[in-house]
Amino acid sequence: MSINSCCVPCEKPDLEDDRWMAIHKRFLQDCLEKDPEIVFIGDDILEGLVSTEMYRSFEDMHVLNFSIRGDFIENILWRIANGELEKVKPKIIVLNCGTNNTPTNTAEEISEGIMQCVEEIRKKRAGSFIILLTLLPRGHKPNPLREKIDTVNSIIQEKCHGLQKVQIIDISKGLVQNDGTISHHDLYDYLNLTNAASKKLFEPVLDVLNQILNENEKELLTPSE
Amino acid sequence: MKMVLSQRQREELNQAIADYLGSNGYNDALDVFRKEAEVPTEIERKYRGLLEKKWTSVIRLQKKVMELESKLNEAEKELIEGAPTKAKRTPTEWIPRQPEKFKLTGHRATINRVVFHPVFSMMVSASEDATIKVWDYETGEYERTLKGHTDSVQDIAFDAQGKLLASCSSDLSIKLWDFQQTFECIKTMHGHDHNVSSVAFVPNGDFLLSASRDKTIKMWEVATGYCVKTYSGHREWVRMVRVNFDGTLMASCSNDHTVRIWCLNSKESKVELREHDHTVECISWAPESAAASINEAAGADNKKGQHQGPFLASGSRDKTIRVWDVTSGLCLFTLYGHDNWVRGIVFHPGGKFMLTASDDKTIRIWDIRNKRCLKTLAAHSHFCTSIDMHKTHPYVISGSVDQTIKVYECR
Repeated sequence: MSINSCCVPCEKPDLEDDRWMAIHKRFLQDCLEKDPEIVFIGDDILEGLVSTEMYRSFEDMHVLNFSIRGDFIENILWRIANGELEKVKPKIIVLNCGTNNTPTNTAEEISEGIMQCVEEIRKKRAGSFIILLTLLPRGHKPNPLREKIDTVNSIIQEKCHGLQKVQIIDISKGLVQNDGTISHHDLYDYLNLTNAASKKLFEPVLDVLNQILNENEKELLTPSE
Repeated sequence: MKMVLSQRQREELNQAIADYLGSNGYNDALDVFRKEAEVPTEIERKYRGLLEKKWTSVIRLQKKVMELESKLNEAEKELIEGAPTKAKRTPTEWIPRQPEKFKLTGHRATINRVVFHPVFSMMVSASEDATIKVWDYETGEYERTLKGHTDSVQDIAFDAQGKLLASCSSDLSIKLWDFQQTFECIKTMHGHDHNVSSVAFVPNGDFLLSASRDKTIKMWEVATGYCVKTYSGHREWVRMVRVNFDGTLMASCSNDHTVRIWCLNSKESKVELREHDHTVECISWAPESAAASINEAAGADNKKGQHQGPFLASGSRDKTIRVWDVTSGLCLFTLYGHDNWVRGIVFHPGGKFMLTASDDKTIRIWDIRNKRCLKTLAAHSHFCTSIDMHKTHPYVISGSVDQTIKVYECR
């Protein structure tokens, strides 16, 4: 049996500008100074979220965003193993990764890699709530990667079933239109979120995070007699 | 609240339930439900996810309604009561008014702390850009930048005469700066193993206290720069340390949800105040002038149960502000209103009000006697991290993650 590259933590190969490692080190520095309630960890999708209006609402909840554009699952595994969750004690960790693995790995490999991320996060932060976001469909028209992504999503949905303090949120719905295409008004380059789509897809995520953060608060919203 | 559904509503609800059961794989329940409720097998598209949608939208709407109601209240209050006319107002009733007098820009990152110079018309800001900047709050002019720290500056404090400024940073150091002539760093002190989050002078100016993420508080001799005492007891990151007016007690607050009171000359903590449900971000000792209004707010009977004080106020990530009688260790009352972490707290020198800064981007002015929020200023476009009020001049300053400082005049 061949080795699943998604599950072997590794650094991103340096492009001779040391950017990737520099970003990782800045994240470690953030861990020393900041005290987040929520940590985002992921790739292009969560990194791109920062520049949308939606992100302001997440910021209000005290977020640190450890997402790097172009990261593969194995890079994220390496970052988790090398201190990014070491000094912080967030109540919630939001994970979204895998889209960059779709051209090279099989659906089984990708879902195994994602679940390993969940496991490693759990090992580092036993008390945190893990929110796993499904992969977004990509490409203008139906294509093999989209099919692979669908398979990954259904596998990880199944595997998350019954895990303690792990919740999967399906953010992939409502992107593919009736004719099978994805609009550039939603994913401007058929991969990354526009302002409008981030509002549509991440509003439910915001709701869930709010619910979890405020669970222990005096319930003000209970319908009263 | 009794509710009756119309027949049509009931049918819709049933369809939505059937859709919920179906889409979540509760197939046995679905079959039985279908039979009992006579729901058609084919469920219309518009019912997809409807139940979940309603479930969350109710909460969203309630939140919205509450926001609007509180805004309306605020507006009505402003209209009916208004501000007391200028002639009627005494300095003890001065509160900051919108719009701000100055918006000071120049820092390249989050502003962590703003403080007034005790004597000159000068204020100082500490930022994550590793610098400290000095400004004139009367003219709004920038004066100078103090460079020396290599990482985020967390807190700053003047001694009583304003001759020395102490600063502390994530670079693990504490620095003393000369404010008489040179504005240079005259001493750097090391000793903490982690971020230094707060500094405060003992009133006579001989000693300095510092609090750190390494869970300790340290006392330093200003003349020599030596660490003379380490206070341990907190179980987590110590956020802030403040000394009371006669210099016998200090208060500290921490991520461990507690506020602790210490006798400066002993190493043990004297009282532990635990009521907050989350990290306690900030503390402030109440001035003598606030004793009467605090007692009134606590509902104390003047004849017997007067609370002696000293009194301390604390602000927390649990969004509340608590006021404590330090001698008895009792929480006298709690103020609710902020929608996010409370980051800064200062007493009005007149003793009737308290001012707080919060991550809900507002500054609030609290009427202590009536335990209510008197006024809310939408101060910044991002978290308000710090607030200070001048002891004798009618000015309030605030700092924010939006990298600006605002100077408010009080009227």
